[in-house]
Order: sequence, then C-alpha cells, then structure tokens
Amino acid sequence: MAVYQQVVRSLGNALWFLGEIFGNILRGKIRFGEVLKQVYEQGLQSVVIVVLTSLASGLVLALQGYVAMSRFGAKEFVADLVALSLVRELGPVFTALVFSGKAGARITAELGTMNVNDQILATRTLGVDPMEFLVVPRMVACFLVLPILTIISEFCGIMGGYFVGVTQAHIAGVYYINETIRAIHYVDFFSGFIKVFFFAILIGWICCYEGFSTKGGSLGVGKYTTKAVAYSYIFVILLNTLLTKVILTFWG
Amino acid sequence: MIRVRNVSKSFNDQLVLNDVSLDIKSEEIFVVLGESGAGKSVLLKHLIGLLQPDSGTIQIDNEDITHLPESKLLKMRKKMGYLFQEGALYDFMTVFENIAFPLREHAHLDEKTIRQKVKDILKMIDLDEVEEKMPAQLSGGMKKRVALARAMILDSKILFCDEPTSGLDPIRSRDVSDLIRNVSRKFGCTTVITSHDIRNSFRVADRLALIHDGKIIAMGTQDELKASKDAFVKEFIS
Repeated sequence: MAVYQQVVRSLGNALWFLGEIFGNILRGKIRFGEVLKQVYEQGLQSVVIVVLTSLASGLVLALQGYVAMSRFGAKEFVADLVALSLVRELGPVFTALVFSGKAGARITAELGTMNVNDQILATRTLGVDPMEFLVVPRMVACFLVLPILTIISEFCGIMGGYFVGVTQAHIAGVYYINETIRAIHYVDFFSGFIKVFFFAILIGWICCYEGFSTKGGSLGVGKYTTKAVAYSYIFVILLNTLLTKVILTFWG
Repeated sequence: MIRVRNVSKSFNDQLVLNDVSLDIKSEEIFVVLGESGAGKSVLLKHLIGLLQPDSGTIQIDNEDITHLPESKLLKMRKKMGYLFQEGALYDFMTVFENIAFPLREHAHLDEKTIRQKVKDILKMIDLDEVEEKMPAQLSGGMKKRVALARAMILDSKILFCDEPTSGLDPIRSRDVSDLIRNVSRKFGCTTVITSHDIRNSFRVADRLALIHDGKIIAMGTQDELKASKDAFVKEFIS
C-alpha cells in the first residue's frame, strides 16, 4: 500500500476514534468514578515535574531578563517579562509538553499493554464498551487535569522569577508582586489559558489512540508509547503556533 | 444452538477461514482442533462477534449476528463467556474485582450479594484465599481458573474457550479441562473450545472438528474422528 494511502487510512481511523469519544461524552457515558481515579493518577504523576520545570523556567527567564533589561536601565520590568511570558505562552506550552511526557506516556503504555494482553478485547466480550470504560475517563481527566497543572505551573514560574528578582536584581518583594499583578490583564491570562483545553484534547486523543492501536507485544508497547509522546510534542507545538496566530488576530 | 454457514475470512489477501460450515448443538461441548495458525481462534472470535466474516452467516439461537452493530453485540455478549488463552484478567484489579466486574456492570446487585456470588464461584473452581491477590501473583493455571470464573459469573449460556490448556503442564492441563467440563455441565451451557491438545480434547468433547488451512476437514465424535481415513486427520490425532 502506498504511503499516502496509509496516512489517509490512519488519519481516518484516528478521526473516527475521536468521533467515538465525543459521541460517548455527548451521550452522557461518563463514568465519574473512573474519571476521579484518572484525575488522581495523571495529576499526581505530573505535578512534581511540572513544579520543577516551571520553577526552573521562571528562574532562568528572570536571570536572562535581568541581564538584558539592566542594559536599558529597566530591571524593574523583569516582573512584567516573567509574568507575561509565562502566562501568555510558556506556561501552557511547557505544561502540555511535560504532561505529554508523563501522563500521556502512561496512558499509551497502560492501554497498549492492555491491548497486547487481550484485556481490551476481554472488555468487549464482557459486554462493556472499552471506549466508555477506558478511553472516555482518561480523556475527560486530561481535560480537567491539564488546566489545573497549568495554573500551578504559572504560579511556580512566577515564584521562580520573584526569587531571582528579589535576591539578584534587588527588587523589593512587594513591588515585584504588585508589578506582576498589574502586568497580567485578563486578556493575557485567557489568551494563554484557552489553548490548554485544545492541548488537553490533542494529547488525550493521540495517546489513547496510539494505546488502542498498539500491537507487537512488549516491544510494540515501547514503540507506540514513544510514538505517542513524539506526536504529542510535534502537534502541541504546531497547534500552539496556529492558536497563537488566531488569538493574536482576534484578541490582541 | 450455533449455526455457521459458508464463513470465509481473509487478512491481507491471506485466506484464514475458507467456506467453514458447522452446527453446534445446545449444551454440547464442541472442540475445534487444529495446528497453530489454522484459523481456530479466528473462528472463535467470529462466533462472539469480535470479527465479522467477509462472506457467510453466523446464527446464535436463531438470531443472525453476522452484521449486528457493536451496541447490540455488547448486549448479546452478556449471556456469553469468553476464556482467553492467557486469561486477559485486568492487571489493575484484584481477583475479586475481576470476577465481580461483570456483576457490577450488568447485574445491579448489592455489594453483599456480589461478594457472596464471587465466593461461591471461587469455591466451585477450587480457589480459596486469592480474592485480594493481583493477577500477577497467580500461576498460569490459577489465572485461567479465575478467568473462567469471570466468564461464567453471569450464568453464561454459551462459553468460548481459546486454547485453555496452552502453556500448562500435563497435570494442570487435565485439571483445567476437567474444570471446564464440570462447569459446562453444571451451568448447562453450550461450550466451544479451540485446542491442539488431543488428549484433553478427547477427555472433554462431545463432538470435535478438525480445521486445516482454514477448512474443516473432519467433524464428529471421538470415535468418528479416530475412524477417519484422511491422512492428515490420522496424523494429527495419532
């Protein structure tokens, strides 16, 4: 089969899969107990690494910003730089990438292992729809967890910047916080935050689909998990570019 | 009663089932014999609607299931049990949760009744003190017993077993085969087993079929198969 035919077929299958997920959600087939379990697992698994990466990115942003802005005698604006960079762009994107690597990989590995061990087929033989039992709760959990992680990430990033601002740039703590609050308008916050919901759907979709497509035993689980994370990274970055352009066009 | 008529199935231009027809009577234990890759498991998956044939029809209790949508098949499968080769137990659930799963999904019973039913079926399959264990802590034979309990917990009227003795030593194979026969008789269910384990198949089967290159080349009782003049049948069962 020609490569383009395979691509078209895979895309068709993936879109059908997404349609099935939304079909189940719209029909109210959401198992809240399973969703809570997934929220706990995905959230707990990702929160430490999200805190660490966002804290580090806030620190680095403030350090670099302080050096650059000192040249123009505007070191007080480090707070604005850190806050706006994180809230408008870096917070949502970094969190989505970290989430793909931790929770996304887990989703694909879990579903992939279940697939190669016939547990997904077994679900069907037990008269239960595996989409409703296994996929929808993971998807809904992504939709709930990623926004919460993003807020945690943005807060920690700002705290990283605050630490550098106070200890290195010798900006007064109260001034730094006031400047941060003054800098972030609701448009800044929501223009970044709205993207997170699209990223959540994208990551949940890719990782669940790859898990359901896994074949080839334990080697296959590794291969499809790596593929899911790589696709999530690529498409999060591409979607971010597109959404940023659209949001800037309509929302400044 | 299960009626299969002229069923053919190909995967990537490779013919796996070739014009297969057979009838399986109610409450009968029917074994489909054949080499690895002969098409036994594919046939079994057709009977429970996990696969759809390219041509031909499959009827269960006079209902044509050949092209039923998945939503109807899911409902139909509540009266069927399927024992997978490796058990296919949920590895994130305990033994108790695995067996209780179909009851919680379909039977709408209170927790006390569910617990009692699980205890009863575990007793029937001679497994005690395993309720709180995870599947990874069980031996191969125990996994198959637990999977059989899960398949039968809703008092299934049809039981499908895919290579139930594969990977087990001769004694465990005999025990699992006897257990399937006893459970089958006790529940009065129609049982279809795929296997290449001749000795145990002859122990449990009322009738058998031999599948070779996707075609059924012999069907009948143990004596009828033994009396076959076909060279492959003779070689396979000797």
